[in-house]
Amino acid sequence: MKNRFKINPILKKEMVVGSRSMKMSWAIMAVSGILTSMVVFVLLITGVTSSYGGGYNYQSLVVLFPVLGCTECGLLSLMVPVITSGSISGERERQTLDIMLTTPISPFSIVLGKLWSAMMIVMMYMIASIPVMAIAFILGGLSWWNLLGLFVMLLYLGIYVGSVGIFCSSIVKKSIAATILTIVIGIGIIIGTALIYYIGYISVNAYYMSTGNASINDYLGPIPVFLFNPYSPIFDFMVRAISNSSIYDIVVSANSGALFSVIYRFWIPISMGINLLISYGFLKMAAARINGKVKRR
Amino acid sequence: MLVIENLTKRYGKFLAVDNLNLHIEKGEIFGFVGPNGAGKTTTMKIVCGLLDATSGNVTIDGVDALKNSDDIKRKVGYVPDFFGVYDNLKTMEYMEFFGSMYGMSKEDVDEIADGLLELVNLSDKKDVFVDTLSRGMKQRLCVARALIHNPDLLVLDEPNSGLDPRARFEMKEVLKNLGAMGKTIIISSHILPELSEMCTSIGIMDKGHLITSGHVDEIMNESGGNSKIHIRIADMHGTEKSQPDKTEMTDSIDLEADDNAAAKQEKLKEDTYSRDKDRIQTLLMEQPNVTKVKFTEDEIIVSFNGDEKASATLLKNIIGLGINVSAFYKEKEDLESLFLEITDGGADE
Ligand SMILES: Nc1ncnc2c1ncn2[C@@H]1O[C@H](COP(=O)(O)OP(=O)(O)OP(=O)(O)O)[C@@H](O)[C@H]1O
Ligand SMILES: [Mg+2]
Repeated sequence: MKNRFKINPILKKEMVVGSRSMKMSWAIMAVSGILTSMVVFVLLITGVTSSYGGGYNYQSLVVLFPVLGCTECGLLSLMVPVITSGSISGERERQTLDIMLTTPISPFSIVLGKLWSAMMIVMMYMIASIPVMAIAFILGGLSWWNLLGLFVMLLYLGIYVGSVGIFCSSIVKKSIAATILTIVIGIGIIIGTALIYYIGYISVNAYYMSTGNASINDYLGPIPVFLFNPYSPIFDFMVRAISNSSIYDIVVSANSGALFSVIYRFWIPISMGINLLISYGFLKMAAARINGKVKRR
Repeated sequence: MLVIENLTKRYGKFLAVDNLNLHIEKGEIFGFVGPNGAGKTTTMKIVCGLLDATSGNVTIDGVDALKNSDDIKRKVGYVPDFFGVYDNLKTMEYMEFFGSMYGMSKEDVDEIADGLLELVNLSDKKDVFVDTLSRGMKQRLCVARALIHNPDLLVLDEPNSGLDPRARFEMKEVLKNLGAMGKTIIISSHILPELSEMCTSIGIMDKGHLITSGHVDEIMNESGGNSKIHIRIADMHGTEKSQPDKTEMTDSIDLEADDNAAAKQEKLKEDTYSRDKDRIQTLLMEQPNVTKVKFTEDEIIVSFNGDEKASATLLKNIIGLGINVSAFYKEKEDLESLFLEITDGGADE
């Protein structure tokens, strides 16, 4: 009772359990394997194309960064739902949740413990990918800040997807259903934001057709809806990393208003902030769901 | 210690617990009895803070259990009817995990867990993976786990289900020890004779109602107004007390070996028997506290709702009436038949 700071008991337990199960090692090995083959693939492609120009163009290896980065994000988006989907439903299936709920630990701490456990695996996954990533960085001439930035992005994405996964795990009975639901929600958010943008675009266009006057700004008006796409800051980050431009540069040329210009300039922190808040909301909802006092049927 | 007042729980429209009132004193071992679906688990979950009540009050040690569920959780240990354990976790780690949920340090948990595992007879299983333990061991481990934070009230939902006789015995010993340690314990069970052995008081529940509760002896004595008295009457089929001369007569007829007469005699015998039966029935039914009279092969079973004194009076009366009582005993009613009777109104009809 001396130190107030205590490691979340669930995280502690999951680490003990996790270290004993082989699942994680397999996942990490699979990930390293996939990344390595990506590198080989890119080297081959760039090798072939550059050989026409005579001599190997190392600068073209810069594409390794978005390719590997996107691969890592994609794998993470599939891996985290699998890891987290059993977090609550698994406890229910195993009938261990009720016991946990008779202890003073709060449902939100349970949820956080589950999230941190998933994040531990995400971090191991990132560490395992360092050697492969390093090749891209050294050969492609990118700065270590970019690698650090990518890791921040991966952590952020892990938290987002993990929160959705834990939420899904708290509302459905079967873990497998939770995995699928998480992925469906993810795709739904991506398609949903695109759809809203498209509807906005169409209505501006219709306005233009009927009145004959709509500025380019009107057309760009719906773009901020993509702030709600959790991948948009990663996209912006990638663009910034390899091309020295950004969503800001792309859009600001249109001379948009002051508010929009701030949004575009700080797209990454704003979007990450929004999405982390949404994650928090998902975690809160998950906590409310497992509270048990909520009507359980 | 535990006071439940007007507790009602609805699942949607379904009334699972209906206006339940219960007082359990400190140090009592309270047996919660009732058929499937009676509402025992529901009540226990509410007490443990796992479910919200629809209405009513629950106080533990004067603390409102429905409002201060955090305080309550430190006072209560719960062993659910069904539960699982984690894979890849050892017994001692399992205890440490739950200890840490109560904010206990590893050292504290280790010290307490040692004692608890000893209590539940699992000291030799400290380094075994919990999912490899037998069912009975898991059950006992769960009891030890429920005690890790030294709760005042222990709530056990059917801790004996699925255990073999040996494991049940061991569980019973564990619970008796805990009772001796001064813990207040609530146990629900279907294994009623065992409850009567270890509980200080019991409550019988059916369809959400508490039908009766009180000390085991009281309940056994009152037994909801339905104890049974078995009465044997000397040679009920043959000898007729009302016609003492007839016996000799019969003998003399027999000597003549007249078939016709024998048949006649048989008929007479039967007639007197059924006449007698009616007479005895009427006489018995006239007695105070007698609710029902039933004839079996060789006994009369009287449903009786009086106490010891009243049954003595009954015996005196029927002897006084000239009935030749050869045996008179009160069925030693165990909880099992009491339970069946109370929860299934008139099962022996
Ligand atoms: N989550 C729920 N939703 C709807 N009805 C429920 C729920 N839980 C229990 N019930 C109903 O409430 C009633 C009481 O159930 P409860 O589990 O408390 O009974 P019990 O006395 O513990 O029975 P058993 O001896 O079988 O364990 C049952 O009729 C049951 O169908
Ligand atoms: Mg039950």
